[in-house]
Amino acid sequence: MGHQYKAIQWNKNKIVYDLYMAVAVLVFVGVFMAIGLQTQPTGHTADPVVLAIRALGVAAFTLLTVILAIGPLARLSPRFAPMLYNRRHLGVMTFSVAAAHFGLALLWYHSGGPLNPLVSLFVSNPLYDSIPGFPFEVLGFVAFLILFVMAATSHDFWLNNLSAPVWKALHMLVYPAYILLVFHITLGALMTEKSMVYPILTAVSFASISALHLYTGYGEWRIDNGMKSLKAKGWIEIGAPDDIPNMRAVIAPLPKGDRVAVFRYDNKISAVTNACRHQNGPLGEGRVIDGCITCPWHGWQYRPDDGVSPPPFTEKIATYNVKIEAGRVFVDPKPNPPGTRTEPAIIAEQGAKAP
Amino acid sequence: MTLPKGVIDPGPKNPDEMFVGWAPAPKVDRRFLLGALPLGLAGAGGGAWLIANELDNPGAGAWLTGATHEVAGVLVTDPYPMLHLADPSMPGGVRTVLIVAQGKCTSALQLDDQRGSPVIARGVLIQRKGRQMLEVPLFVDDWLSPIKMDMTAAQLSPPVKSLGAAQLSGAIMDTKCFFGVMRPGRGKTHKACASLCIRGGIPPSFWVRTKTGAEAVLLMTTADGGPMPMDILPLVADPVEAAGEIVQVGDLLQFRADVAAYRRV
Repeated sequence: MGHQYKAIQWNKNKIVYDLYMAVAVLVFVGVFMAIGLQTQPTGHTADPVVLAIRALGVAAFTLLTVILAIGPLARLSPRFAPMLYNRRHLGVMTFSVAAAHFGLALLWYHSGGPLNPLVSLFVSNPLYDSIPGFPFEVLGFVAFLILFVMAATSHDFWLNNLSAPVWKALHMLVYPAYILLVFHITLGALMTEKSMVYPILTAVSFASISALHLYTGYGEWRIDNGMKSLKAKGWIEIGAPDDIPNMRAVIAPLPKGDRVAVFRYDNKISAVTNACRHQNGPLGEGRVIDGCITCPWHGWQYRPDDGVSPPPFTEKIATYNVKIEAGRVFVDPKPNPPGTRTEPAIIAEQGAKAP
Repeated sequence: MTLPKGVIDPGPKNPDEMFVGWAPAPKVDRRFLLGALPLGLAGAGGGAWLIANELDNPGAGAWLTGATHEVAGVLVTDPYPMLHLADPSMPGGVRTVLIVAQGKCTSALQLDDQRGSPVIARGVLIQRKGRQMLEVPLFVDDWLSPIKMDMTAAQLSPPVKSLGAAQLSGAIMDTKCFFGVMRPGRGKTHKACASLCIRGGIPPSFWVRTKTGAEAVLLMTTADGGPMPMDILPLVADPVEAAGEIVQVGDLLQFRADVAAYRRV
């Protein structure tokens, strides 16, 4: 958590994660280069630089596909949570691979001529009024700029200083970047190479990402739509205390579009916003560890009764008033300012009573 | 459990199995990762193999870097820089070696002083299917030296023979990349590079393929045999057709047609 900033915050899990992904990229690029150099007819050899440009481009697009799949997969199965944990490092790695692809392409195809390479990038193919002839390089360049902005602002320093909503909105640009890259490939490599493998793999990537997001988005919509089933005014009924698994939470949508996570722990009930202060992670999908609500995405922690991170951390989230009446848990839909202490509802041994 | 409609229980079935990044991974995650991580590496290697194995043939070009070649002949600059070598075995008794500069700026070469004279040129050889090109340094002058040599009439003025009018379909390439610097040096992914090369004075060529798969590369000139103007650039690397005249100049095939004769197909 953000009480101090380090250039890169590593722990054992992150080191293993980063090493594994680096090895995977090296395996991909190495095999691509080796096969690309060896599978030609006698006397025909591919240009190693062109092969490297292609290998790095495919690797960057594949990494971006993986990154976009991690979020929905982690919603579908907790087994993918380890992939989610260090997704930002994977994003920076993707940018680095994309930068190598961009740099080599600029050097090899656009340098050494009568035009500035960046000018050549925009004018050497002037067919902007044609769909099949459109200069695909420009699409890749815009996507690269987006990846650059995302990589440059990936650190928690920017997350805190830009504010979580602005940072989140900025990083949602990954979706336009992905679409731009799909067209970059479709109007570039797919119009040059004859094999049907390439359009099929590109379509698989696009269809997988679309399907995963539509499926999980539908699930989110159903949750939010559940608000219609709850009372729109006054306190919201959550259920019986025993309906909430011990050391965990249930989630309920609120009238203004927020969600509340209602936790049961130590014979008490507390409610906080479902959105983690860090990256809007779903706190209600986490659990109480060492007396603190623990976000399932990156392990950020908050005390259940006041929504404040344990010292030395200082992050705060909104809390909600809770009560137990006639054996049922109720939540006031009006949020308290972040860090406001609220009295937990105490679960009686038999039945329940208000605190 | 009877939660009211709209309230959901989203958490893990077993709370102790929740992965927290700063804590040791639960057993269930470790088991999953032990199976998934090798599969991921295998997928990376297998995917790379599949994609690289499907790449188009880059062609028979070669860029013989690492060795300097010397070529002696008569220096010609019109329509493009080239050397005419005396070679009785070639049509017209002349073998042509095109000259290009390092990078994409051949038009910056200073050749006027030696034009029409016997010279020896030193550079890197680029070749494709018997057609040769010499890549020379751009910013040093000692690559080109005058020599004393008996020049044949064919070297000074190679015989020009019209092979007749022709309607050809194909693609416009820059000779340097297509002959072997870029492999492959064709297609839309190479369009910007080819356009920049031709803008920089590298001779354009018309690459045509017959229905039987045979290919021919013809040096492009205007209808009167001059260098192609820059108006040709938007058509580079696209499928085009043109009506013009095929002319053999010594051993070199030229396709003579003005820019207006080309049409994108």
